Amino acid sequence: MPGFLKEFFNRNGTGMGLAILGLVLFWTIGLIILPQLSMLDFSFRPNLPPPEIGGPKDVYTLENYKYLIYGPEGGSQSYNAVDLRVFFRTLIAAVCVTIFNLIICYPIAYYLGQSKGSHIRIFAIMLIIPYWINEILRAFALRIIFGETGVLNTLFMGLGIFDTPFDFIRNDIALYAGLGYAYILLMIFPMYNVIESLDGNQIEAARDLGAPWWRIHWRVVIPYAKPGISSGCTMVFMLSAGALAAPQILGGPSSLWFTQLIYQQFNDNNDWPQGAAYAIVLLVTCILFVLAVMRLFKVNMGDIGK
Amino acid sequence: MNNSFLRVSIWVYLVIFFLYLLGPLVIMSVTAFNSSAFPRMTPWECLTFQWFGELFQDQRILNGIKNSLIIGAGTVVLSVAMGLAGALMLTQIWPKLRATYYTVIIAPILIPGVVLGISTLVFWDRINRMLGLGADSFLSNGIFLTVIGQSTFIASYCMLVLVARLQRYDVALTEAALDLGATHAQAFRKILLPFMRPAIASAAVLAFLASFENYNTTTFTFGEYPTLTIELAQKVRYGITPAISALAFLIVALTVFFALLNEAKLKRQELVAAARKKATVEELAGKIKLPSFFSGNMAAVLLVVFAVATITVVGTATAYNPGQCIANVKEQKRLEAEQRIQELRKQREEQRKKREAEEAEQGGAQQSAPKPSNNSGFGNVFAPNSLGGDAEEEGSDSETPPSNNGGFGGAFDPNSLQSDQ
Repeated sequence: MPGFLKEFFNRNGTGMGLAILGLVLFWTIGLIILPQLSMLDFSFRPNLPPPEIGGPKDVYTLENYKYLIYGPEGGSQSYNAVDLRVFFRTLIAAVCVTIFNLIICYPIAYYLGQSKGSHIRIFAIMLIIPYWINEILRAFALRIIFGETGVLNTLFMGLGIFDTPFDFIRNDIALYAGLGYAYILLMIFPMYNVIESLDGNQIEAARDLGAPWWRIHWRVVIPYAKPGISSGCTMVFMLSAGALAAPQILGGPSSLWFTQLIYQQFNDNNDWPQGAAYAIVLLVTCILFVLAVMRLFKVNMGDIGK
Repeated sequence: MNNSFLRVSIWVYLVIFFLYLLGPLVIMSVTAFNSSAFPRMTPWECLTFQWFGELFQDQRILNGIKNSLIIGAGTVVLSVAMGLAGALMLTQIWPKLRATYYTVIIAPILIPGVVLGISTLVFWDRINRMLGLGADSFLSNGIFLTVIGQSTFIASYCMLVLVARLQRYDVALTEAALDLGATHAQAFRKILLPFMRPAIASAAVLAFLASFENYNTTTFTFGEYPTLTIELAQKVRYGITPAISALAFLIVALTVFFALLNEAKLKRQELVAAARKKATVEELAGKIKLPSFFSGNMAAVLLVVFAVATITVVGTATAYNPGQCIANVKEQKRLEAEQRIQELRKQREEQRKKREAEEAEQGGAQQSAPKPSNNSGFGNVFAPNSLGGDAEEEGSDSETPPSNNGGFGGAFDPNSLQSDQ
């Protein structure tokens, strides 16, 4: 190691080397690693008023994790059915949103990646513009559309499909549409980057050999685009499982997202260790789930983020 | 035939896709001009600009914009610096550490923003306590925490942008500068930094936008300095007004404007480069005729159209007064409401008459067989139509056992309740 450090300072000079090293250490250790460890540590502690922190009562405990599974002590139910249901619902819904996004984005990514011409740039701008608009405002736009007197209800009632306004928000349709909408770009770009580098001759060769269009995609394009697809899916899954704005704005009054529970623990119940424990559970479950799925589809971790 | 079918279907798909992508933004922008107090497109009431006025008088929004700008500036400086250092480190790091290091600096992109916010809050709270500082110290300041929390993951974005350009950098340039006697700092400032400038600019823009629109992390760290996004979220959650649409319209317009401007500039650079390539030596030596800004540059044309449209809209806004129209709509609404009340009364009157007639016919036949529609009980004491009122009958639908003391029972007919809503 010292040899490496010496070489590093030789290459960059002492001043520059120290600046670079300092910034990198501050970022990786001070902002990324230590806060996560600190949160992990915090999640094993009881919720104490500030003067008692560090006192005799401040011991490690599994209480916060038990709470998620068994609910409050002496509660009427043997399991914390409400929170657990929210947790699994969040995960399943995030998977559904990811699959939905993959299906609608794949044709677009393929089209943009494989066709030439100046109109592709216009399409790219049109894709990016919504992503520059505030997340809250995007959710707000969908709320206008899905509201009881919103555009969709007016349209459907005008066409005579519904007699009474359909409550899109209570039925969570608005929420899923909003989550899908929010992360389209993150699904398209990794796929587009990979598909763009696919040699068109390969597709043509497959076509000349008599493959129908679906087989070309199945055997040529999709295997080639696998790193891009897995990158996009990972990002969309992690972001929608961790979304907070869209569920708060578009979610029905009775349906909660797991991040909303975390938010409540922090802001309404003022129980930070409990919130930290929930956050850890969410983070660890999501990471394990992503790793398991990547293993299932034989994708390397190194391909993510390219 | 098959081929053209595919082509048509991909175009149809593209249209639907972009409708899903852009439609909500267009509809939201349009609602900013409707005078209806609830943001909606239909029914269209009057063209109005009042929501923009309201927006600019909202102290909380203005304060939020100020905080967002401060936090955005801090985040840009910190995350571009960390991103650049991270990218430089990535190109030089000990190969065995490389994969671990890359995983660590890319992880914040995948960690949910909520988790980042919480960990930042918890960690700096603990540091603050360890140093024995009070609750109002620098380390628990909302601006500081938000900048730190956002930079954690925004620096990763910056790093990705910067490393892409850094990979094309020729280290021999720095070495040459050093051989010629430059110090390391000079070589960095005069050689590497100018080379990286375009990437640094785009990383800065990206960092600012990401900071400006961040919600998940900021919502845990903002303290007493709510950003624009936080203010918007609170407004949207507790009652929405078209003033938010007005703000959204401004943001959409600004975004489109800058996107077109950027595109026009790029296109022009391309055209100039192409013209240079074609030009002969004499032309290069003498005067080279560059293509004008608009020729073959669609983005530039759109930009001008956009500017003209903006001027027109602003011009109309100052001259236009929707007062008359709004008064008309109000009057019309009043008339409609009155008409509905009249109709309701008439309907109820008819029902009452009908029921009276039925009661008279059947007489005592239904003594032992009460009907749900006949559930007057005490009801007819409160029967609103006997007083001529029409608004307060909900809730008096008492659960008393039905008796057939007839007469005004029709007031509680479910139909009349329905038509009242």
